Amino acid sequence: MVPLSDREISAEIIQSCRSGDRDAFRALYDLYKDRVYSIALYFSRGDASAASDVTQQVFLKLMTGIGQFRGDAEFSTWLYRLVANACMDAGRRQKAAAVFSRDIETVAGEGSPEDDYARKQIASSVRVAVSALPPKFRVAVLMRYFEDLSYEQMAKALQCSMGTVASRLSRGHRMLGERLRGLMRRP
Amino acid sequence: MILTRHPSRDLAAYIDRQLSETRTGRIERHVAKCTRCGNECDQIRLGMAALENLPMVEAPDAIWTAVERQLQRRPARELWRRWALAAVLAVVAIALAYWGVARRSRVRWEVVRLAGAPVVGSQPIEASGRIGAGEWIETDAGSRAAVKIGEIGSVDVEPNTRVRVLVARPSEHRLALARGEIRAKISAPPRLFFVDTAAGTAVDLGCEYALQVDADSFGRLEVTKGWVLLQWKGLESLVPAGASCRTRPQAGPGIPYFDDAPESVKQALERYAFEEGGIDDLNVILVSARVRDTLTLWHLLSRVPVDERERVYDRMAALTPVPEGVSREQALKLDAETLRRWRDELAWTW
Repeated sequence: MVPLSDREISAEIIQSCRSGDRDAFRALYDLYKDRVYSIALYFSRGDASAASDVTQQVFLKLMTGIGQFRGDAEFSTWLYRLVANACMDAGRRQKAAAVFSRDIETVAGEGSPEDDYARKQIASSVRVAVSALPPKFRVAVLMRYFEDLSYEQMAKALQCSMGTVASRLSRGHRMLGERLRGLMRRP
Repeated sequence: MILTRHPSRDLAAYIDRQLSETRTGRIERHVAKCTRCGNECDQIRLGMAALENLPMVEAPDAIWTAVERQLQRRPARELWRRWALAAVLAVVAIALAYWGVARRSRVRWEVVRLAGAPVVGSQPIEASGRIGAGEWIETDAGSRAAVKIGEIGSVDVEPNTRVRVLVARPSEHRLALARGEIRAKISAPPRLFFVDTAAGTAVDLGCEYALQVDADSFGRLEVTKGWVLLQWKGLESLVPAGASCRTRPQAGPGIPYFDDAPESVKQALERYAFEEGGIDDLNVILVSARVRDTLTLWHLLSRVPVDERERVYDRMAALTPVPEGVSREQALKLDAETLRRWRDELAWTW
């Protein structure tokens, strides 16, 4: 999972954003852009266009609505509610629209070319398996992996109970495990 | 207290240590004795571990540009609404003035000389110059130039090339390549950058590529990063990184192929797409196909004669499992949604 330590949002940044400070907006954007984009990209089955649209929408709403945000303790929750809603909306539109999966570069490891090839194959299979999850499971699984939110924060972001979050994560990860059993060694 | 039901829905929370101590203890004792729940825990852990193979992907720079542009528009739009009814004449006057200014200061992209003496219009450029919609840039055998495409990227104009700027707007950047070679490096949301040729249009889907057009207007697209869509009169070829596609006037884009495909396959594809190649060429393509060559086969499926379609389908199905939601019957009927769904799944291996 992605560590939280490097992306704590200070009250000063939020306050500066409220008063329209573009540099503060940019700092906020830089802090979250790759995580938001990654969730959107894997959610939309690698459709870079849809992922860009989702990311753009999320940050536009965030920047125009930050005046309504109170306190910095639940900033992630608020941000990821925007992400979840934008992803689900995009997913509904995507049913009728063309989807272009894109290549996602995997970082070359220190192993042999065979190891790199095997790693790419596994990554590809994981992406396909994530794409096959029902949207509500998919967004929960991606949010847990890329954001390391607590179940309570996820429940607020996804606007459901903690029990529902737990259930979606249990079923989602189990489906991934079943589908990828042949490829992965047990942890 | 012991559990009376299998705690399936709570197992992820149990693994993530999100439950109370009491609940965790109960589930722990249950899992130690229950094979079913033990297996489910293993599957969930496997699913969680699998995600470690998904890399974080860097957001394209163009997103911030688009966000800023939208933010700048908002206040302007609100102001306009407030005053529009009361100031119609003033708006007309301002619009006329703006039109005059816009004509004089229309968008012109920067051109940098890389070698020799490239020419914009009829003027050779020294170190750098500008090019706007309607103007040509031309290089001879010894010259090269780089054109900055608005805020979204750049295009290198290689020797012996003639290319024209058709549209230079933030919402559309369009060139026409008459002959020669350009190398495009674009970092923008898809469908903002286009290159027209006599054999179709290359639509950027977020990528880097080289596009060549020879004296007979025969073309070749080679993609090094991302995706490019070639379009011509309803015909489309989708070309990912590591793949190429040839084009011909009156025929449009051919069948894309990966650059590491055997030469015999590339030649067979060229004959099959453009030179009335027949069954022998199709046989070469099908027999030599690897998993990633489903890129080629997916495009072939809708372009071979009806009586050959089943062979192409069967070869694709033999190379990689047909995903859920893709039926043989619908695929052979070339049902658009079925083909799209299949392509989306196959694209992960391209």
